[in-house]
Amino acid sequence: MSAAMVLDNPWLRGLVIGGGVLGVVLGIVAYAIWFERKFTGLMHQRPGPNVVGWAGLLQPIADVLKLFQKDDRLPAAVDRPLFVLAPVLMLAATMMALAVVPWGWGVVVADLHIGVLFALSITSLAAIPIWMAGWASNNKYALLGGMRAAAQAISYEVPLLLSVTVPVVLAGSFRLGDIVAAQAGGRWFALWPPGPGFFAFVLFYLSSLAEANRIPFDIPEAESELVGGITTEYGGMKFALFYLGEYLHTVVASAIASAAFLGGSDMGPLGDGLHWMLLKTLLLTASVIFVRWSWLRLRADQLMALCWTVFVPGGLVLVMASALWVHLT
Amino acid sequence: MPLPVPRPFQRPARGATRHVEVGGVRVPYELVVDPWPDPYLDLDAYDPDADLMPINWGPQHPSTHGVLRVKLFMDGEVCVKAVPYLGYLHRGVEKLCEKLSYAQVTPIVDKNDYVSPMMNELAINMAFEKLLGVEPPPRAQVIRTIFAEMQRVASHLLWLGTWAMDAGGALGGGATLFMYCFREREMILDLFEEVTGARFHYNTHTVGGNRHDLPGGWEEKAIRVLDHIESRLPEYEDFLRDNDIFLVRTRGVGRLDPLLAMEIGVSGPSLRASGVDHDRRRDAPYAAYDRVEVKVPVRDAGDALARYEVRMDEMRESIRIARELLQDVPAGPITALKPVKMPKAIKVATGRSAYVGIESPRGELGTFVIAQNERKTAHLPYRLKIRPPSFHAMALLPYLAPGATLSDIVVIAGSLDPILGEVDR
Amino acid sequence: MSALPDDVRAIFERFELDLPEDPPDLLVEEGPLVPRDKLLGLARALKLEAHCLFFVYCAAAHYPPGPASRIPGMGEGELPDGTLVAYRVRRLAGGRPVDVPFRVWVPTGETTPSLVPVWVGADWQEREQYDLVGTVFEGHPDLRRIMLPEDWEGHPLRKDYAIDTPHFPWR
Repeated sequence: MSAAMVLDNPWLRGLVIGGGVLGVVLGIVAYAIWFERKFTGLMHQRPGPNVVGWAGLLQPIADVLKLFQKDDRLPAAVDRPLFVLAPVLMLAATMMALAVVPWGWGVVVADLHIGVLFALSITSLAAIPIWMAGWASNNKYALLGGMRAAAQAISYEVPLLLSVTVPVVLAGSFRLGDIVAAQAGGRWFALWPPGPGFFAFVLFYLSSLAEANRIPFDIPEAESELVGGITTEYGGMKFALFYLGEYLHTVVASAIASAAFLGGSDMGPLGDGLHWMLLKTLLLTASVIFVRWSWLRLRADQLMALCWTVFVPGGLVLVMASALWVHLT
Repeated sequence: MPLPVPRPFQRPARGATRHVEVGGVRVPYELVVDPWPDPYLDLDAYDPDADLMPINWGPQHPSTHGVLRVKLFMDGEVCVKAVPYLGYLHRGVEKLCEKLSYAQVTPIVDKNDYVSPMMNELAINMAFEKLLGVEPPPRAQVIRTIFAEMQRVASHLLWLGTWAMDAGGALGGGATLFMYCFREREMILDLFEEVTGARFHYNTHTVGGNRHDLPGGWEEKAIRVLDHIESRLPEYEDFLRDNDIFLVRTRGVGRLDPLLAMEIGVSGPSLRASGVDHDRRRDAPYAAYDRVEVKVPVRDAGDALARYEVRMDEMRESIRIARELLQDVPAGPITALKPVKMPKAIKVATGRSAYVGIESPRGELGTFVIAQNERKTAHLPYRLKIRPPSFHAMALLPYLAPGATLSDIVVIAGSLDPILGEVDR
Repeated sequence: MSALPDDVRAIFERFELDLPEDPPDLLVEEGPLVPRDKLLGLARALKLEAHCLFFVYCAAAHYPPGPASRIPGMGEGELPDGTLVAYRVRRLAGGRPVDVPFRVWVPTGETTPSLVPVWVGADWQEREQYDLVGTVFEGHPDLRRIMLPEDWEGHPLRKDYAIDTPHFPWR
């Protein structure tokens, strides 16, 4: 079976590219954690991980090994099936969104014609496992966290969709590949047309922070209020899956933002390539980490107020402005 | 009779504009709440369906600053009634002090307010000195004052860091500020270590003076450290005051009625943030505070933000006082009594009592001590009571928590700066 | 220490308290001994007329049976077993604050009125004294133990508390 045959068969092609993308992205996630710890160390004026490997580069592997060794305990009063299923589903929901991300050079697992909708709907499904975890834990802090997460995820779905509608309107397609192609030659939607694209990018960035439960919007697990929120009762590998899901969500959201607003694999005069897409994704992920370690946390009701009074009307205005732009040009 | 429904203290206000005089004390009118929430609210009458969710906030909770346990009755995310349970850190310090002589008590009380041990020592030794009628020499007085002010800066730095963690999460922006605060606090602890040999439980105050004299060149070093910390304070303010999230989390949160605060005995920054201008250092000067001018920062807003502002201003003021005193430390002996060789050397057999209240970083830290009446046991205090400011601040929780969400309760409790070591004793 | 201000002294005299003059600073430092039936009235007068809004502390000390001369200002004779409760309130008005102390003698087995109706801050203070010393404050809304567990036996700050005896389930 030659390589051409593999690439011609959509099933095999999806399998190969999907496996490759998943492996690379999981590696990125593992090293995003290393990067976060090192970067935070820099911010805090402390060394960060520096024992395992050079500059602590083997730290993620050591962490994973440690987590694997941990006793897989189930608290007595939990709802067992839901409790076990929740972290797996959470990871799966975010992983599936990777399928539609166009990395450049034709590396895309499945370039669906509703790619944007697919990615958003599948990542917003992560609210269900979080709620499952909050309910199944049989813990009041987890319950509060789950309730907050459900409210937050459902609310922020609206501005997220509205903001991503702007590139969809500008490119005239739901397919992420088409959206990237429409930005070719440096005409990134975050820059051109001036106005709606940029603000839609900011809106998308903030809303995906909220979707991925990152500070300043990480109220579902708010460790200073809710101990650990939904993850209070979790430990060992199950906890690691939640952790991984959160980071994966950040990386996926960064990738989608890069593709939809920052030209994807396009770098204007510098050409086109997978490495630019990866670079943009990594830079966005790093900015998320920077925001995390320098901001405080909002209160749940303030978060909702921000969504419904600022983000949703703002998103509607942006959609109308972009439609007007398309109509006029 | 209508039920006393807990009313949120949160109202959007940027500080009171009107003032009203109550009992000769000028207080901000907008802060005065009537009636106060009922700490003994009848929950069955409030909610016959019993839909309230009780939450045990603590004792193993990351933001209770120790082992405080508060039973919160929540209506959704809003608290209806809060019942604190103390005693998880009760060590029987007062009973211990009855069994130890005057010279032996100091290291025991070091562990009360473990964030500012200097203050505990100072308060208890000043009470003993009053009982004995001993006046420490000027050099000891000045050294005590310098230590107290530097300890205040260190304590406020720790408070700022931990409170930012409450508001921003131990895995978020709060942790960054926490690290910065600890970096500066370390410098002060290093200075104390150089004098006393201990970083934390100093045991440096004795009855009648100090145990350790300042080593040569310590004054210049201390001034350099204080200058450095002062240059860092704007950094923290940039971090918090220019951060909209910090402002919305603290402005109007936990508004404290000054009349309630006075009746409960809350003192220090929490009282001054509610507009009551009372500071032991200025109003009843002790140690060497009569040598310097103490400016007392006061705010009228009474919320968590005002308490933060008062503490930040206090840090600047403490640095100024300490620096002023460091420039001219009088020469002479550091103790009025001969160094105590035997625990039983200090004896009082009058049966009289004495109370001394000093301004600790958290408020008025008092010591009430009754002397023995008979010669045989004259080296032991008959009864010793410590009046910890945090105990009174924690008594506020049942009044401040109703109407606040769980997130706000964390911020409110943190803004009162409780140290459970001295609450439970 | 300066003397008590005139208005506070006038309130003390109106309640016909025995104001100790010997030793001279006893009145300022430790205050008069107040009969229990006059306590609430005096507290109200101090708060409403003398504007003592700030409740500083309330501290009880246990005295086993013995001569009354152990307590300054108590006079002569024999005292039964009881506790001496020392209060201190403060007036913040006008410049220097004024501390007003007063004391109450409570024989064991009898109660003393609670000051919670006057200063809500007396709540936890009195609970603490009840817990550690065993003074019973009548009219307190919630007189429970505060420091020790609910099932603790005895009051550890009493002089007759057997400190060397093991207490369940500790020690």
